Amino acid sequence: MNIYKLVLKDILRRKKRVFYAGLGVIVGTMTVVSILTVAAAGQARILSQLEKYGPNLTIVPAVSNVNMTLGDISLGAISIGDNYIDESRLPDIRRITDNNIRQALKLDDPGDIATIAPKLYVNSKVNGTNLLVVGIIPETEFLLRTWWMVQSGDYISGPQDMVAGSVAAELLGIKPGDSITVGSSLFKVTGVLQSTGAEDDYQLFTTLALLQQATGNEDRVSSIDVRALCNSCPVDTIADAINSSLPGMRAMAVRQVAETEMGMLERINRLMFALAGITLVIGAFGVMNTMMTSVHERLRDIGIMRAVGSSQRQILAMFLEEAVIVGLVGGIFGYVAGSLLAYGIGPLILDGAAVSWMLVYFPVSLAVAVVVAVLATAYPAYRATRIRVADSFRSL
Amino acid sequence: MLEVKNVSRLYGTGEARVAALDGVSFNLEDGAFLAVMGPSGSGKSTLLNIIGGLDQLTSGEVLLNGIAVNNLTENQLVKVRRGSISYVFQQYHLLPSLTALENVMLPLAFSGRADRSRAEALLKRVGLEKRSGHKPSQLSGGEQQRVAIARALIGDPELILADEPTGNMDQNTGAGILKLFGEINAEGKSIIMVTHAPETAAHAGDVLFLRDGQVVEFRKNIKTEALK
Repeated sequence: MNIYKLVLKDILRRKKRVFYAGLGVIVGTMTVVSILTVAAAGQARILSQLEKYGPNLTIVPAVSNVNMTLGDISLGAISIGDNYIDESRLPDIRRITDNNIRQALKLDDPGDIATIAPKLYVNSKVNGTNLLVVGIIPETEFLLRTWWMVQSGDYISGPQDMVAGSVAAELLGIKPGDSITVGSSLFKVTGVLQSTGAEDDYQLFTTLALLQQATGNEDRVSSIDVRALCNSCPVDTIADAINSSLPGMRAMAVRQVAETEMGMLERINRLMFALAGITLVIGAFGVMNTMMTSVHERLRDIGIMRAVGSSQRQILAMFLEEAVIVGLVGGIFGYVAGSLLAYGIGPLILDGAAVSWMLVYFPVSLAVAVVVAVLATAYPAYRATRIRVADSFRSL
Repeated sequence: MLEVKNVSRLYGTGEARVAALDGVSFNLEDGAFLAVMGPSGSGKSTLLNIIGGLDQLTSGEVLLNGIAVNNLTENQLVKVRRGSISYVFQQYHLLPSLTALENVMLPLAFSGRADRSRAEALLKRVGLEKRSGHKPSQLSGGEQQRVAIARALIGDPELILADEPTGNMDQNTGAGILKLFGEINAEGKSIIMVTHAPETAAHAGDVLFLRDGQVVEFRKNIKTEALK
């Protein structure tokens, strides 16, 4: 028999008391774990949004407005430059983009990396209503606009197929199966997109090649969206490279909504961690209180152990060992309870956050619980070592 | 072996000062069996606690083999408790979560030795070899005290301090315990036993009478009959 076995036996005898001591640790750890888990879910959601909405580049024709004046008289403004980008520039854009990404990520892959989606906007009168018809490369655009979902009918598969934004479909009163004439071609509506809340809702989408042909815009595109592969891709560098080496077009790195949201989440997280810290402190006081009671209850036992030859250090070690056990057990329960709590409250705090079981937080919760338990026990344990044997027996 | 020199123990301060011990002196040789007698509040237990270093004296000196026990640090006292002195209490003071055998081995857990066979032999010595797996709550008072005596013996001390060891027992059981103390004394251990019952003191070789913290009488080598 050694001191450690002695502590274990004592804990088994006083299960209830030890459980109460552990309760403070459990509550504290539970809060920390649930908050960490929810925060991780929030982070994951925003990262997946970043993935969706890209760090993007939008390349538009370089059009500058020049104010025409004659003396002091303004003659209005004229636009200088083409309103279109020539399709033949696309390989250059791809080359610049992919090379930059390869350099940044140290990739050797010679294949295409970025998603490059050229599109042509044509203002057209359809069924008496003016709206934008957008020529796209259907597969590429669908990749880029991950939020697109077909509400009814099918997505574009043939060259004459067309999908309508939800508001446009309503305005024009069209449904899958209808036909629409744009320019010189007849298009077949195959589907209606789900509302996205963006300008997509007001537009019609069809294949780039046929729209170019039908509207006499052969080889022309109005803008090019570039979605880089990764979140850390050097969009600003790519934009600069395109701007400096490809005249007649202007590339802009699109500032992400998701980044703002990330900042918001950061602030929420900080608040939640502050709450978790307070809970931990309160939990620690709970443990301390129980441990003080435990010291008092065991005055006689401590006196006996001192009388038969335990040193003050051994008494201290015994209490700290008990604290470590309380911490470990509390950490296990706190982890499980915290994860379950995260499942419960995660969706309430963050819409659509997919809370997942975070095994990485298991060692974290154990460490937090043990540290809290040991810190909370330090003072009661110190008091226990100061007990005078004669007093401990007299007080009974 | 033991010299108690003019020991005083005061409790409280100022007007409320009470002397539990007031200039107690006596000597004890190796292998002695001393009974400390006196009415309640005469300072018997205080004296025992001071000799064992469980309580502090206000003035005077306690020398154990020439070493001043009253001047030892906590850690030096721990060494004394592991080697020279052990205790037997009226309330037995066994740890409730441990079996009889484990209680006997408890001092070894702290001194870092683990001698199970010696603990078993000691349990046999006090007649409890068949109860070694029982918890204190499953043992009678006499049995618990025997476990406590075995525990007191496991460190092979020179001096055993017993504070009313039979105080909670009926006469028969108590007689058995006292007989055991007599045997242990005969095997060479010195014993100081606090008691207020003359028939208990009769088992001892010497008797120290205390009253109001002072020595009233110190009788050496008394005969059993003389007290009765």
